[in-house]
Amino acid sequence: MTRALAGLRVIDLTVELWGGIGAALLGDFGAEVVRIDGLGPSPAVGAEDERPPGAWNAHAALAQRNKRSLAVDLESERGRELVRALVVESDVAITDRRRADLVRLGLDYATLAARKPDLVYARGSGFGPKGPDADAAAIDELAAARTGMMPILPQPGRPPVFPGHGQMYTAVMLAFGILTALHHRARTGEGQEVDASLLGGNMYGASLDLQAYLAIGGERMLQPISRLDAGNPMSGTMYRSADGPWVTLTMPDTDRWWPIFAPLVDLAVDDPRFDTHDKRCGTHRLEMMQVLEAAIRRRPAGHWRTMFQEHQLSADIIESYEFPAADPQVRRNRYLLTIDDPSAGEQTSLGFPIFMSETPARLDATAPARGQHSAAVLHDILGLSEDAITALRDAGTIAG
Amino acid sequence: MAGALAGLRVIDLTVWFQGPVAAQHLADFGAEVIKVERPKGGDQGRGVRSIKALPVGDWNQYFLVINRNKKSMALDLKTAAGREIMYRLVERSDVFLSNLGAENLAAWQLTWEQLSAVNPKLVYATTSGYGPYATTSKPAFDMTVQALTGLMSRLGEPGEPPIYLGMGSGDAYGGLMAALAILLALWHRNATGKGQRVDASLYGAQLFLAAPTLQAWLATRDRRYSEQQPRAAAHNPLWNTYRAKDQWLVLCVPNRDDAFAALAATLEAAGAGRAAPLAGDARFATVAGRREHARELVAALDAIVATRTAGEWMARWAPLADRRIAASPIATFADLVRDAGVRANDYLMETYCEEVQRPVTVRGMPITLSRTPGTIRSLGPELGQDTEMILFEMLGYDWDEIGALKAAGAIP
Repeated sequence: MTRALAGLRVIDLTVELWGGIGAALLGDFGAEVVRIDGLGPSPAVGAEDERPPGAWNAHAALAQRNKRSLAVDLESERGRELVRALVVESDVAITDRRRADLVRLGLDYATLAARKPDLVYARGSGFGPKGPDADAAAIDELAAARTGMMPILPQPGRPPVFPGHGQMYTAVMLAFGILTALHHRARTGEGQEVDASLLGGNMYGASLDLQAYLAIGGERMLQPISRLDAGNPMSGTMYRSADGPWVTLTMPDTDRWWPIFAPLVDLAVDDPRFDTHDKRCGTHRLEMMQVLEAAIRRRPAGHWRTMFQEHQLSADIIESYEFPAADPQVRRNRYLLTIDDPSAGEQTSLGFPIFMSETPARLDATAPARGQHSAAVLHDILGLSEDAITALRDAGTIAG
Repeated sequence: MAGALAGLRVIDLTVWFQGPVAAQHLADFGAEVIKVERPKGGDQGRGVRSIKALPVGDWNQYFLVINRNKKSMALDLKTAAGREIMYRLVERSDVFLSNLGAENLAAWQLTWEQLSAVNPKLVYATTSGYGPYATTSKPAFDMTVQALTGLMSRLGEPGEPPIYLGMGSGDAYGGLMAALAILLALWHRNATGKGQRVDASLYGAQLFLAAPTLQAWLATRDRRYSEQQPRAAAHNPLWNTYRAKDQWLVLCVPNRDDAFAALAATLEAAGAGRAAPLAGDARFATVAGRREHARELVAALDAIVATRTAGEWMARWAPLADRRIAASPIATFADLVRDAGVRANDYLMETYCEEVQRPVTVRGMPITLSRTPGTIRSLGPELGQDTEMILFEMLGYDWDEIGALKAAGAIP
């Protein structure tokens, strides 16, 4: 089967989870991704405690799948020169390292583009390529803290919440930015530099709340809003069911759904308090939320899910990770996969969020051990002889 | 200057958020995006009148921002003549994008099979709710799908309600995924001449959005990743939120002896008024000790951090970035708007709003391309503003035929 990105070669100089995923997205669709692993400890700056303990490195399984690994000593000029030579033979370089480190290593855009003018060079940064924080550490917590969402996520009076997903917007933005630049290169022959930052990712994720503040302004947009003070009692709300799980509703067009929904919550369709959209979302908004709160509380979550399915309502139960892990359509869509890890055996991993009918994503290879492909990469791409590779290994320039 | 995606034509038959924002990414980088809308009312997003119980004001930013840089064509796809126009559009386009229900697309004869017969090179993209192999069939909105993923129920303090990641947070991700899917398919088409069908669903995207904790939970089944955790017992007390005298801040220090020593020294030097200095406390002397006594350490840090303002702490910690001490005040949107870096990077941009005849501030370009940056050429179009020009110039209808199309109700 053909692959969407067949023939494209990517040199992956990332160290963080999200940067690695940005490159893995290209590998999932058939690009040849060569991961550059240093010989020392990883210079990653993100939260170490997120990384699950145990023999199987689940994060690496996701971020490094479909890649080959070259372990090379980036502290030696000989090692760095090998990486530069690989970049010259490639289409894309991607990194999330600090700019100062890249300059020191001679792996920055200016140095590489001098040797490979049509290179697409993507960098995942903390706060973007310009401005006072262009060189600040790329840590998702710092970017989330700057975005303005953390204070408004919880209920009023509760501590700000770090959501932890902002980095995932950035991961996809890196891949999208690279593809956009490649389309430009295909037409014009020109390479360029791409940047996607954690701040940009977090801001994009905050899209509508942020845009509403920009356009409407005011204190209400800066403060947490109680769940029982929502703008529309039937949309973006949550209420607790009798047996504990929370129910959430999103039916913005209440006129359309009211005749179906009202009887389910023990209300007459012509209840004079709630019989128009303006009453439901205006004059009787707060009262309606109290009424819904009591009604939802009368019956268990299972009842509500059945009702929502039967009546085709956009409403559901707020689940935990157990739910998608057991949901057959998640497997059918390959959003989760069972993978056979050479050392850890059968494991469940996130799969592929993008469906393509002709060139589907594939798991060609599980995450490599550090340096697993050192010799093969140097032979295949740079044409180095076995003797030359042995000499590099003996000199400690490469490992594996 | 031509954008990176100049020369691409996209038919955007989408409503609300997830679909429109996918096409917006392509339009920002120069693709020609033709938004096709029903003549009566158009995209439902045009009808948004209030957000968080406040009126949207004199311009509907919900619609105008995610539909920027697009043309609008009003077509009644329930009429045969309207569908004929759509087929002519499809013949001359690279991408067809829709987030309408599959039953709608089938009723209007706009399935993948039908459109690829018209144009075999077409990339046919959908942003569905639950994916191409879904068993769930009900309408999908951002929050009701986010609810299924497990993302919401792990956030917040124990006992508090689950936390929604924000209006449109999942739609935004599904839209970005769809934009990536489209470029992947176009790359393949350019190499082989073959179009294909792609989909990025809300469910699939939001599961991927959960990756940092979902992937960890799948491997360990540890509730630390799936359930609400109290900040007072943070797994690493040095990597946590704290309340300074005036506002909250986030502290990011790895649980390592050297980094802890450097941090403790700054707390000491601040003369925070504790009887027993942290550095000499045996409970906190090792990595394991700080983890084991997390509650005590958070309480101690709570007491110390509260004695000074966030600004004072930042001044003390800023020089220690190379010792792995990082921190930031927790900003509000009001702070963000004043952030110099945000403006320097065009993450927020000023653009002229025709509707209110003044410049407005909008979300800008989260992805920076050095040579071919994204641009805002116009905010969202008026309903059907380009219908006749597209029929005349692109599709080759003459004015008599356009009159007949009006008479047939295909166009307004």
